[in-house]
Amino acid sequence: MAEGKTRDLAILGVACICGIASGMFGIGGGVLLVPLLGLLFAFTQHRAQGTSLLALVLPTGALALMSYAKGGFVSWKTGLLLIPGVFLGGVMGGSLAKRINPKRMREVFAAILFLLGAWQAIAAWAH
Amino acid sequence: METGEFTHGKLMNGIVIMLGLIVGVLVGLLGIGGGVVLVPAMVLLLHMDQHLAQGTSLFILLPPIGLGALREYWKRGQVDLRAGILCAAGMLAGAYGGSRIAMPIPSQNLKGLFGVFLMLAAYLLWRKAQLASSSAASSTEEFSG
Repeated sequence: MAEGKTRDLAILGVACICGIASGMFGIGGGVLLVPLLGLLFAFTQHRAQGTSLLALVLPTGALALMSYAKGGFVSWKTGLLLIPGVFLGGVMGGSLAKRINPKRMREVFAAILFLLGAWQAIAAWAH
Repeated sequence: METGEFTHGKLMNGIVIMLGLIVGVLVGLLGIGGGVVLVPAMVLLLHMDQHLAQGTSLFILLPPIGLGALREYWKRGQVDLRAGILCAAGMLAGAYGGSRIAMPIPSQNLKGLFGVFLMLAAYLLWRKAQLASSSAASSTEEFSG
């Protein structure tokens, strides 16, 4: 664990890498930030998640969104239709989570995500 | 009704709203960001172009949807303010760089790269599930952005 300034710079650098993935793939970046804060800077799981939430509450994707918008790659209407559902669903899911074994859920979800990824990669590259 | 870029009828609108709800439940349930689910959902179910799905996902993630969850962490003192702000600054700049990288990549290749990225994210999620179980998991495990 490096002291003050070095640690700050290292965190900034790691966040930059997470940001690149965020802009390249149109995602939030928390999937990378949370484990990296834990693995590289010895954050506890809760502290990593809380800190990631703080970072993501700020509009970190704003500049990336602007370059997608400039390229005509934003469907504003679909986005507006999805936002209320994602918000309401998030609240529902959050309270549901308290009654379900989170470890098992994560494992099932990780498996689904892996298959989705494989499907996308195969659909794109295998002819 | 229709607005040029990506058009869908009334029935499709209903489906899109439902899709948002389902994705939202997953987000709250698993504590993962909406993007990893939103992008493949829009590509595979709505047959959107990869770039369009990613841009739309960034738009959806712009409002502070994690604010309620953040409050819970804040109350328990589980937020590193300094690191959080540094992360936000780094990600703002990085995301812009990432978007500039993505723009010229042909959609087909970007779709494949996204697939590879999903598999990596799945691996990290799996690891996290294993680690969380070894260090006494508590009830506030959900939500990670």
